[in-house]
Amino acid sequence: MQDTEQMKWALLIGTLAMLMMAFFVISFVLFYQKRRFEEEKKLSEIEKNHSRLLLDTALNSEETERRRIAQDLHDDIGTMLSLTKLSLNQLGKSIGENSEKDELIMKKTQSLVEETILHVRRITRELVPTTLERFGLTEAIDEFIHKLEEGNNLTITFQPGSEELPRQGQKIELTIYRIMQELVNNAIKHANCTKIDISLEMNEEFIGLRVSDNGIGFDPEAVKDGHLAGLGLLGIESRLAIVNGSVQYSKTGNGGSTALTLIPVVSEMSNSKPEPLHPFRRERVNL
Amino acid sequence: MLEKYLSYFQYDLLASMPVVVTVLPLILIFYRQAYVDPTFKLLLFFLISKLLIDLIMFHLAAQRVNNLLFFNILIVIRYSLLSGMFYYKFESRFVKSLIFPVAVIFSVVTFWDIWYCNEDLINLHIHRIVKYALTIESLLMIFLTLLYFYEVIKSLKIPNLLTFPFFWVCSGLLLYYSSLIFISPALHYSAQWKKLIDLGLLDRIPYSFEIISLLLFSIGISFFSARYYARH
Repeated sequence: MQDTEQMKWALLIGTLAMLMMAFFVISFVLFYQKRRFEEEKKLSEIEKNHSRLLLDTALNSEETERRRIAQDLHDDIGTMLSLTKLSLNQLGKSIGENSEKDELIMKKTQSLVEETILHVRRITRELVPTTLERFGLTEAIDEFIHKLEEGNNLTITFQPGSEELPRQGQKIELTIYRIMQELVNNAIKHANCTKIDISLEMNEEFIGLRVSDNGIGFDPEAVKDGHLAGLGLLGIESRLAIVNGSVQYSKTGNGGSTALTLIPVVSEMSNSKPEPLHPFRRERVNL
Repeated sequence: MLEKYLSYFQYDLLASMPVVVTVLPLILIFYRQAYVDPTFKLLLFFLISKLLIDLIMFHLAAQRVNNLLFFNILIVIRYSLLSGMFYYKFESRFVKSLIFPVAVIFSVVTFWDIWYCNEDLINLHIHRIVKYALTIESLLMIFLTLLYFYEVIKSLKIPNLLTFPFFWVCSGLLLYYSSLIFISPALHYSAQWKKLIDLGLLDRIPYSFEIISLLLFSIGISFFSARYYARH
């Protein structure tokens, strides 16, 4: 009888120990899993920030390089071309009276030099969007489309939104500008369009850039799957990744395509007033 | 007849309660459409067979007839269906490949155990609970559950275990079999028609944890989303 009682107690203790172990295992799995997930989340966040930093640095380097080339063009080649023009003017005065043929060659040379100066000036401005930093997005986009319309049989409309767009941080403005440039260039190169509509909208949360064309269009799903994603579209994605933005491609009713870019509004601007970007100043772009 | 049922229900409330509680996860499986998942389909089959056998056992117990043959048969059905659930959940091919052969071997062992413990199989009156099969079942199920938990921790594919239905099912199984593993060998000696040995509180523990495990199954099923399952 006593043995039976002892056996009962032994079984009871064993069962309780087993149950405690079961409770412990369940709790352990729950807490360990949660902890490991938090660690993984932190790690992926660090990796994401690191790749974003790398991307940011790459784009900063690109902008710095553009500025350097623009400065070299302006300071060195531009100055030399101006001096050449001046010398040619002086030379033209001395040979102008002797020969009609020489005068013709001189005028042709002068006009070529002037044309080269204009080209250098244009390339310099394209490399560094000085209007963007001085006057803001609306003016910069306006200037860009006016220049484009001059050389192409293309109608480009721009709607800057109902209210005046307040100045944003240098990085945001440059990102929107470069994306707009890429989207418009894509439409001209690949879409065979005759009309491009650009609109800029802003609310409390986002700045929206919409670029639509009436061209041949493309399959947005193919872009999503990466089949159509060339360097240009990848560049857009990269620039947007840095500012936490997003882009959506869709087909329009008239057969063309629309790209809608949304960039979150940053409440505090990095600089109270954007530093003017000018080819005369040799400094690193601080994006 | 109804009086007999009611009086037995009152006489052994804790042993009769799991029969009633089994209906709850069953209803929830249909309500949440959890049967679309093969794992929960097997759980549904188990719950249906358990309910049927429990009802037969309840009826026989109320009639004062030995019902241990059904208890023994339920061991085979229970292990086959519950271990089958793990077949769909394990990612390791090695473990998957073992589940079916082990279930077959276990079934053979259980039938041998039934025959070994009951020399006169025709005489149901003196039928006894198996000697080894219940303990082996508990060991195997605890092993499978712990192995599954290990895989879950290792793979890190489930962001929140508290909303993962099968985690609750596994927790219920682990608790139930942990409560049974030490008591199961004693049941062979205690549960005899002619010479019943009173195990006291020990006898009550598996019933309590059977109810708890059924409630945990119900919690798990209530988290099941057929739409989410279809998407993944």
